Amino acid sequence: MAEKTIRVATDVGGTFTDLVCFETDHATGQSRIITAKSDTTPPNFEQGVLNVLEKAAIDPKTVDFLAHGTTVVINALTERKGVKVGLITTEGFRDTLEIARGNRPDFFNLHYVKPEVFVPRYLRRELPGRMNYKGEELQPLDLAPLRAILDDFRADGVEAVAICFLHSYANPAHEQAALSEVRRLWPGISAVSSHQITREWREYERTNTAVMSAYVQPAAERYLGRLNDGLKDRGFDGNLFIMQSNCGVDSLDSVSKIPITMVESGPASGFWGAAELGKLIGERNVLALDIGGTTAKCSLIEDGKVRIMTDYWIERDRTSAGYPIMVPVVDLVEIGNGGGSIAWVDEFGKLHVGPKSAGAMPGPAAYGRGGTSPTTTDANLWLGRINRDYFCGGSVIADMAAAEKALSDVGAKLGASPSDVARGIIRIANNNMVNALKLVSLNRGHDPRDFTLVAFGGGGAMHAVALGAELGVKKVVIPAGAAVFSAWGMMMSDLRRDFFVTKLAELRAGGGNAVEALFAETEAVALQQFGEEEVDASKVKFLRYGKFRYQNQEHTTEVLIEGVISDARLAEIEAAFHETYEREYTYRLDAPVELVGIHLVASAEVGKLTMRHKEPTGAEAEVASKGEREVDYALEGVHKAAIYDGEKLEPGMTFSGPAVIEDPGTTIVIHPGNRVEVDGFGNIHINLKA
Amino acid sequence: MTSVSHDPITLEIIQNSLQATADEMFAAMRKTAMSSIIYEVLDMGTGITDATGRLASSGAGIPGFIGVLDKSVKVLLEKFNKPGDIEPGDVFITNDPYYGGVTHLNDLVVAMPVFADGRIIAWTANIAHNSDVGGKSPGSLSADATEIFQEGLRLPAIKMIARGEPIPAVFDIITVNSRMPDFIEGDLWAAIASVRIGARRLAELAEKYGVSTFEAAMDSFMNFGEKVTRAELAKQPHGTFELTEEQDDGRFFNVKVTISDDEFVIDLRDNPAQDEGPSNACRDDTLVSMQVIFKALTDPASPANEGSFRPLKVLTTKGTCFHAREPAAVGFYYEIGIRAYDLVWRCLAPHMPHKLPAGHFSSIAGTFIGGIHPDTGRQYTIIEPQIGGWGASAGRDGNSAIFSGVHGETYNCPAEISEARNGLIVDRMELNTDAGGEGKWSGGHGIRIDYRIRRDDSFLTLGYTRSRILPWSLDGGNEGTPNYALVMRKDGSNERYAFGSGIKVDTNDVIRIITGTGGGLGDPKERDPTSVADDIRNGYISPERARQVHGYVG
Repeated sequence: MAEKTIRVATDVGGTFTDLVCFETDHATGQSRIITAKSDTTPPNFEQGVLNVLEKAAIDPKTVDFLAHGTTVVINALTERKGVKVGLITTEGFRDTLEIARGNRPDFFNLHYVKPEVFVPRYLRRELPGRMNYKGEELQPLDLAPLRAILDDFRADGVEAVAICFLHSYANPAHEQAALSEVRRLWPGISAVSSHQITREWREYERTNTAVMSAYVQPAAERYLGRLNDGLKDRGFDGNLFIMQSNCGVDSLDSVSKIPITMVESGPASGFWGAAELGKLIGERNVLALDIGGTTAKCSLIEDGKVRIMTDYWIERDRTSAGYPIMVPVVDLVEIGNGGGSIAWVDEFGKLHVGPKSAGAMPGPAAYGRGGTSPTTTDANLWLGRINRDYFCGGSVIADMAAAEKALSDVGAKLGASPSDVARGIIRIANNNMVNALKLVSLNRGHDPRDFTLVAFGGGGAMHAVALGAELGVKKVVIPAGAAVFSAWGMMMSDLRRDFFVTKLAELRAGGGNAVEALFAETEAVALQQFGEEEVDASKVKFLRYGKFRYQNQEHTTEVLIEGVISDARLAEIEAAFHETYEREYTYRLDAPVELVGIHLVASAEVGKLTMRHKEPTGAEAEVASKGEREVDYALEGVHKAAIYDGEKLEPGMTFSGPAVIEDPGTTIVIHPGNRVEVDGFGNIHINLKA
Repeated sequence: MTSVSHDPITLEIIQNSLQATADEMFAAMRKTAMSSIIYEVLDMGTGITDATGRLASSGAGIPGFIGVLDKSVKVLLEKFNKPGDIEPGDVFITNDPYYGGVTHLNDLVVAMPVFADGRIIAWTANIAHNSDVGGKSPGSLSADATEIFQEGLRLPAIKMIARGEPIPAVFDIITVNSRMPDFIEGDLWAAIASVRIGARRLAELAEKYGVSTFEAAMDSFMNFGEKVTRAELAKQPHGTFELTEEQDDGRFFNVKVTISDDEFVIDLRDNPAQDEGPSNACRDDTLVSMQVIFKALTDPASPANEGSFRPLKVLTTKGTCFHAREPAAVGFYYEIGIRAYDLVWRCLAPHMPHKLPAGHFSSIAGTFIGGIHPDTGRQYTIIEPQIGGWGASAGRDGNSAIFSGVHGETYNCPAEISEARNGLIVDRMELNTDAGGEGKWSGGHGIRIDYRIRRDDSFLTLGYTRSRILPWSLDGGNEGTPNYALVMRKDGSNERYAFGSGIKVDTNDVIRIITGTGGGLGDPKERDPTSVADDIRNGYISPERARQVHGYVG
């Protein structure tokens, strides 16, 4: 056995491809950590991954475990860089995709523009054949027209085929037959049918999901294939895992078939990291916040568990209906507020922050690259929260004149000084983020005071304490390596699949067995899939969630069910539902409860990282001191803050705010009265004033 | 920005929180409701008013519901005007348009006072369409009702929860009067949960920032709404504009709109006497319809509040169809409301071409289908507004298949869910490509849905307008196409309907719902031939029709 285990995580972002490597020595249990960054290389993204490995001087031959996250799928969707898709659907329903749900979120706007469909009408074709909602065949599938349809698709330059039939969630036989016939008639064509991705009802959502998966499939398959080949050529023979939107990783083969499951893999790894970190430090209830350059994302973790849902949409906001993608995605709220968000004044003299971002080019005014609008980062610099002499870890000389000019320009419109404007920007940005955090907590029936705020990403630590105080949390934790925390999360991930199956069942005699059978059947499918990837059944763990509602309701509440389900246990399960429901919605009903479907989580550990605790050295925090400077804490006024070098902080060190911790990737703002403690893993714990 | 308590940033933050609260109330109600008309169609609205009932913030949903809640709260305040009448923990309900209910009896308005420092500082409220509130027909709407008494239980602005304790008699009366008692009880509790959640948030806000700052924020938000509206008013063409339009039933509706720097006056006084049947709106509802078109014209981007509507004046005559007198039936008020809304739109469109597209299908097209579910044996009722085609605007074809102008963030029902829940078969749900609505820019398409009935003795009730008088066009475009339903009997005969109630349908009868295509804009002969070729390729128009109306020679 080797003396070391080498785990690598790579993350392809819009601008940079990041790498984090943990080299764990078996004898000591200690890890050496290497990080590296290189440019992202569109359209051959795999090249960036190979480059960053080279840059970090990591020999692929020595790597045991490689996890990979990528924005390739989401970018292909948002930049409309997928392929021409042909859709085959049930007779009478070719317009489902175009009708969508008919909603107009921007409802006073008489010039609202409905999102354009991904498949034009002439490429949406129908086949006769019908199932009902119970999965019974009403009319057999007629495959005879398929040959002519595919001929038309070929002639029209279609590169991928999506199939979605009515009620395929209940019985996929027609979709399976059509898919195999497509493959027979058109060998080599990229094709996907909706039941392979989801077994839930709602035909528009499922059709759109199949279409979007087909749309990105050829590019994603090619990309993953080349990445695999490139690594193999360099001698890599370890396990390659791809990060998924459900916070798990999956094998390359499996992801290549349904690449749409990667759509939110970036945020998912960070939130998983937060959940794992919480377990490590004994904080099982976590509010996780990831602030990047353009957006802030947040998610709630209860009792160490992330919440996975299939109600995911892209490009959906107050002005657009967006597009649904019915795949398991970590429950997150995203807002257009990041370090690069631009502050602006509307025609009526109101100050706003975001959602427009200065991006990497020109970036914040203080980058000195021609940006003339003040951003959240400029405000943080101006108020002394970010060290103007150590901007971007010392790699950029802050152009304070440009920042001042930008803040003054906005100030002129408001009749306010640059400092007033900067404080206003911070407060508004914080309020936007607080509202997002409330959406995932209060809005779902959770009291934030029972949670610990874990903040990461480049900007998380700058705002976390103010947000935590506003929400009333007792403690804020900034993880070690907050700027590359997502990559760490990937290394902590399990091989994981979430199965959502729609099936109605009433909680009365016979119901228990039916529900048990559904779980058992789905678990068998999961075991078979894992088996095909040589994961032993003994390593697979299941979590069973029932999706319940009061009869006649639509939206469901998930309840975790442990053990074998029988009629005898129905009362207990029902009681658990009533309790969960009441917590979330303040009341319960004396109405029949029914099961609408199940959510089965199947996971297997695939050699994730074990973190080793370091003992306190006994050194005092003063050794990390970099002096003092004046910091403007907005509502709490200007204070002389102690400045600490994050790289010199050791486990066991303690100190109090006002303070600022600086390390190359992030700046942690500690408010007056906060008590700081560094734990055995290098995480910063900030206890807020009671 | 000197004082911490009243500085503009604090006010802005409170305003954002009011918006977030209205949205949270909306989300809570949506998730817990029992009727698909609420949770799927989202025929509901949430709002926050100040202590005096002025609208401060509104949640997502339906524009036609946004101006309702403040009017209800004002009626409650008038009625419960003695000390001790309104106490912390109380929850009120009204549904009667002659007692602050504004719309029709199906819409239950639930409102809750928010207390701080021992007095009311705000109200949280919501409105939602309930499946059945009694009355002479299932679903409570009947096309032949002649008095409001026939349209269901009247709740004339009453208390239903006192100091946090439900008043059992009120709940008993409500449930016993409904054909679907479980549904109404579930939906009512969803509404109560929603106002309670909102009230809790507002109390927290007031505690955190202080009552005076909280109230100042609501005031400044409304003043801001007014400022934005007035700025836009100044940019609009000033003068008086008039339109008289024939209706499907042969009556003529008239509007005069006078726009000046300070006012936007809509004069609906010269209109027919109130209807014998249920096609009437109360004055408050007419006012709401006018607020919707006014907001679209002045400030579509920001949320509505009381200030947004300050420059708007609406004139009506009591005893007309836009200002019905008790006890006129009002079940189909919404088709009257949308007619008034469309009338103003059509009146002004020629004068504000950049603001107003050509006419859309312009009907709620409320469709009610019910009976016994063949698989479960339980009663089901479909209650759904329809989606349809929108008119073209200069430079762009109209949208296909979206909800009408008085609906908004509402959703159609998936066929898969409808088949399971309602026990019928959706044979097709597709775009309606009947000829019409062509122009240089063409109107968007309506839809065609076929519901195949699986059990005898089911019923259809409906009320559509724009079934004879078509969606109007602009600048030489073609008119759109009508809204109607066909009952296609299994014996091969067809019946066409726009209005009807309790129409009996049996196994294997098919109810075909057709909604109109929007009006075109500009001469169809001027349409870009490439666009015409695309239309033909996509089957939106037949080659013959393209030759005929567009002069297409491809």
